[in-house]
Amino acid sequence: MANISNTWAKFISIGKYIGAGLIVYSLISGLLVPLKPGILAVEPVTLDAGKQSVIHVTGYNTHFEEGKELSAFLKFNDGTFLESANNLVRSGKKMDIAFHIPYPLPFPDRVSDAVLVVNSPEDGTMIKPAAVTVRQAVLPVATEMDGVFLKDAGKLHVHDAWSFPYRGILEETIRNIFYHVPLWIAMVVLFVLSVVSSLYFLKTKQEKYDEIAVATTSIGILLGILGLATGAVWAKNTWGQYWSGDIKQSMTAIALLIYFAYFILRSSLEDDVKKYSLSAVYNIFAFVALIPLIFVIPRLTDSLHPGNGGNPALGGEDLDNSMRLVFYPACIGWILLSLWMSDILRRIIRLERSTQND
Amino acid sequence: MTNFVAEDRIMQAIFSLLVKEFTLEWRQKHSFGALLLYVLATIFIVFSVIKNIAPDVWIALFWIIVLFASANASARSFYQESGARQLFYYQLTHSLNFIFSKFLYNFILLFLIGLLTWLGFIFFSKAIVRDYGLFVLTIVLGCLSFSTIFTFISAIANKTPNGSSLMAILSFPLMIPVILTLLKLSAQACRLMQDTGYVKDIIILLSINGMLIGVMIFLFPFVWRD
Repeated sequence: MANISNTWAKFISIGKYIGAGLIVYSLISGLLVPLKPGILAVEPVTLDAGKQSVIHVTGYNTHFEEGKELSAFLKFNDGTFLESANNLVRSGKKMDIAFHIPYPLPFPDRVSDAVLVVNSPEDGTMIKPAAVTVRQAVLPVATEMDGVFLKDAGKLHVHDAWSFPYRGILEETIRNIFYHVPLWIAMVVLFVLSVVSSLYFLKTKQEKYDEIAVATTSIGILLGILGLATGAVWAKNTWGQYWSGDIKQSMTAIALLIYFAYFILRSSLEDDVKKYSLSAVYNIFAFVALIPLIFVIPRLTDSLHPGNGGNPALGGEDLDNSMRLVFYPACIGWILLSLWMSDILRRIIRLERSTQND
Repeated sequence: MTNFVAEDRIMQAIFSLLVKEFTLEWRQKHSFGALLLYVLATIFIVFSVIKNIAPDVWIALFWIIVLFASANASARSFYQESGARQLFYYQLTHSLNFIFSKFLYNFILLFLIGLLTWLGFIFFSKAIVRDYGLFVLTIVLGCLSFSTIFTFISAIANKTPNGSSLMAILSFPLMIPVILTLLKLSAQACRLMQDTGYVKDIIILLSINGMLIGVMIFLFPFVWRD
């Protein structure tokens, strides 16, 4: 037994430095690495077939003025591309694109959404989904528009420098994944540890397992509050308000209520042995009740969170390799740091109990 | 043969404990009457305050009343057992028989309360439920979850000095996922929404119950022993 606790002490003493280092790394790189260039706004949003249409494009992190081989396309739902007739660069972030949209369109829809694709050697390929709506009149329009529909947009360029994906709505707040999500992961790790030590307590009735359970639960609650706070600040920017009653927000609030109840149960009991075993029992029961709360119901219900209900996801192509380089270290860092914090708390509880007993 | 006899004995023990519960209840008719009066008075207050009730409010109020009545009903289940009497049961029977008889008794009681509340709601307001079978199934599932959680939590809360207030704090957060699912199922039974996936909700409730009953079987001996 002494062997295990020695190994654990060594692990914690090294792990806290690694954890702190990884968190500092994730803070610095997560905040300093720029976003990929993207298209912020397009105006006007309605174009007519059979007319020359000029759209004003505002870019984000773009370098239009350096682009020698800029090309722009409208991509329609049926997969055809229409190349722009003329691109007029105003500045690094502003550009006017003229389209000669012929009449009739190659598909019968009266109204159809089109994706704007801007292809530049400096900035890579930028895409704005549903950027414009193209209208097609019912009556034939006399027209001399010479735009030709193509099957593909030619060679697409890739932005090589280390940068995070540009996503509409999320934009710069995509960085929150490095600070918000690892807190949840570390919290779940701590709650699992706490349940495991509660199980060990019921099995062995050794006081040290109760100390571990209390310490990990306390730090888990702290991480939960931090996760809720970072999420609320992010939600204020993205959803417009701190609290939207989103399923994941509600479930987290309930989870925190359950663990607050755990501490109320503890404080209402005087007798030590009874306190330890009853709170261990409640901890296990509450964790089992939490499983559908955290892992099942949010997946079955629509949520405003990225990745749910058609929102930009944090899996698949949205969590790309450039973000994994920061996200995974941040997760490991927070887990290590929270283990260290709960170990300190466990030692404090240990000291307090031993002084009380003397 | 021995296994069969053992199983038979367990069933017999649970059944006789259940009969004991009902006998006790019958002797204390006033407490069951108080419970009925509690439900009736709450329903009367609710429909005096709200004249034209919207269907979704109807469902929400129904489950809130059933929840609070259930909390009141099942909080008694361990309080009427004094410490000395618990010691007597401890010597007499296995702890699992004891918790199962409590659980079954609470389930039957809560199901009665649920049906009576429904009757009260029909009497005082308009009939909103369209799919009677599904609504009865929802009440069964709801009372199953309520009795699992309340029975176990009242066993824990019974060990503490200020048990009745602690009971609400400990159990209501655990209830919320169950209630959210019940609200969805009831809305389906009232045709407030057309969700073809309501079978999924039934499966969720059943699996929550299954897990909680499993954990209860595992954990109750630890609550019981000290």
